[in-house]
Amino acid sequence: MRQDVLPRAADRSETPPAAAEPPRRRHRYWAAYLALLPTVALIGLFAYEPAINGIIHSFFTWRPGFTSTFTGLANYERMLTDELWWSSVANLGYVFVFGIFTWIVPFIAAQLVISLSRRRAQFVFRTVLILPIAFPQIVTLLIWSFMYHPQDGVLNSLLSGIGLDGLRQNWLGDPGLALLSLLVIGFPWVAGLPFLIFLTALQNIPQEIFEAAALDGAGRIRRIFSIDIPLMASQFTLLLFLAVISTLQYGMAAFVLTGGGPDNATQFPILRMLAAAFSGRDWGYAATLSTTLFAVTLVFGLFVLATQRRRNRV
Amino acid sequence: MSRTRRNDLLISIALTVIAFLGLFPYLFMVITSFKSTEQFYENYWLPAFPLHLDNYARAWEQIQPYMTVTLIVAAGTIAATILLGSVAATVLARHRPPGHKVILGLISALMMVPSIASIIPLFVLMRDLGLLDSVIGLIIPMTVAGVVFAVIVLHNYIKQIPREMYEAAMLDGAGGIRMYFSIVLPVIRPAIGTVALISVINVWNEYFWPSLIISDNSLRTIPVGLQFFKGQTSTDWGAQFAGFFIASLPMLLLFTFLSKQFLAGMRGGLSVDR
Repeated sequence: MRQDVLPRAADRSETPPAAAEPPRRRHRYWAAYLALLPTVALIGLFAYEPAINGIIHSFFTWRPGFTSTFTGLANYERMLTDELWWSSVANLGYVFVFGIFTWIVPFIAAQLVISLSRRRAQFVFRTVLILPIAFPQIVTLLIWSFMYHPQDGVLNSLLSGIGLDGLRQNWLGDPGLALLSLLVIGFPWVAGLPFLIFLTALQNIPQEIFEAAALDGAGRIRRIFSIDIPLMASQFTLLLFLAVISTLQYGMAAFVLTGGGPDNATQFPILRMLAAAFSGRDWGYAATLSTTLFAVTLVFGLFVLATQRRRNRV
Repeated sequence: MSRTRRNDLLISIALTVIAFLGLFPYLFMVITSFKSTEQFYENYWLPAFPLHLDNYARAWEQIQPYMTVTLIVAAGTIAATILLGSVAATVLARHRPPGHKVILGLISALMMVPSIASIIPLFVLMRDLGLLDSVIGLIIPMTVAGVVFAVIVLHNYIKQIPREMYEAAMLDGAGGIRMYFSIVLPVIRPAIGTVALISVINVWNEYFWPSLIISDNSLRTIPVGLQFFKGQTSTDWGAQFAGFFIASLPMLLLFTFLSKQFLAGMRGGLSVDR
């Protein structure tokens, strides 16, 4: 269809287009707004309305379906003195630090992959290493919940198998181990965004730079610290901010595997928020917690946008 | 030459170990999915024969409704996302009515805020609209997330279509609708594929929303249904793992055949990670 439009249009190129412009334009805007209407309505009703409504009701004792009373900052004051909330925020700190620490493995894996001399082998290993992300998250979580199973689980069976029966643990049921067990999920943590980003960045470093470094007698370790890492600075910055944002949303693993227990050892802000609304029937307080999460995420989101803008301009 | 060879061999061994560790839980799942309970306890680590395909039959019976609902939700989300997203992106990138920058800005802003942050008020809204326990209630939030992503991606694509193509079509008397079908749609087709793929991945991974609004077992999507299924099969490990594997197959197939788009989607999609 496109092919026959072009030649015919060329035939008519002598008609002055300006003459037909004004009435057409007005008509076009009317139609344009009509075409935008469903999208704008959808986003307005189901994205902006809840966001704004949540912010407003964070200042209320919110009883959906009944009259809500304005209580000012009471919910926020309560949040500031809510110890369970603060311990759930502290757990986010562990998630973040542990998450950054695990980047060592994808970094080493990416280094190894680019050191392979054949492109074909690089591609094969990249695909196999990244394959775990092709499984649905819920499947990964449920399999790991089996890995930690106290009787039949892989971890305990392995310990018994090598004669270390004494080290068998109730991995998810022990308050001292549950959080660590959740963090270890996905070991060796290669299949993910950091690996993809490290690999692309390393593949994009011109071969001549590596060769020049080798000529200067720089060893592998030296090269990593004085060439690779500085050249990847912007990728690290981006990954760091993305890690902050995904950490703020952390909660599914805890919700599925431990439900926040045992003894609140694996509480996270999202779990607190849902519990406030659905168990405590405390919708206003839940709205306060979600507004807080929303505000913090927005701040970091703006950072990501700013760094990406800068990167695109360079 | 032999040095490069030896190097390659050592690196390959190291990478194979890392890959094996990462894939081990999934391998264990597949191997165990073919075992009967006796085989599981007698022969924990290695494959056992004969293969018990009846595990798959039992699992499928329970998983099948979840798969159907998930496919319906995914199809509805894809259709709505592509229709709304491509039309909106075309209007915003090409026709540019006054205020188009504000609208695009308001849509892009949603990329930065995860939907989990407003899940509580969204739940109240859906309850007021009577959409709890409904397929529409599942499709709408997925479509909102999809449309935000689609508008941003497609807008970039459409902006790059040379102006001359539109002018030529306009002189030919083509209106907005015909231009959409004959110029815009063919150009954005590859991007539409990525957008659709991301919708599928999102539907297959979204956990909190369906777990909140669905209580009817026949309306559970895979993430929530599979957790329920795990409770139902408690120590029938063979059937349980068969179910997990069946539930993974659609995404595994997409990864196998569209790995490039899959990974591109991960990159673009993870900053919107839900």
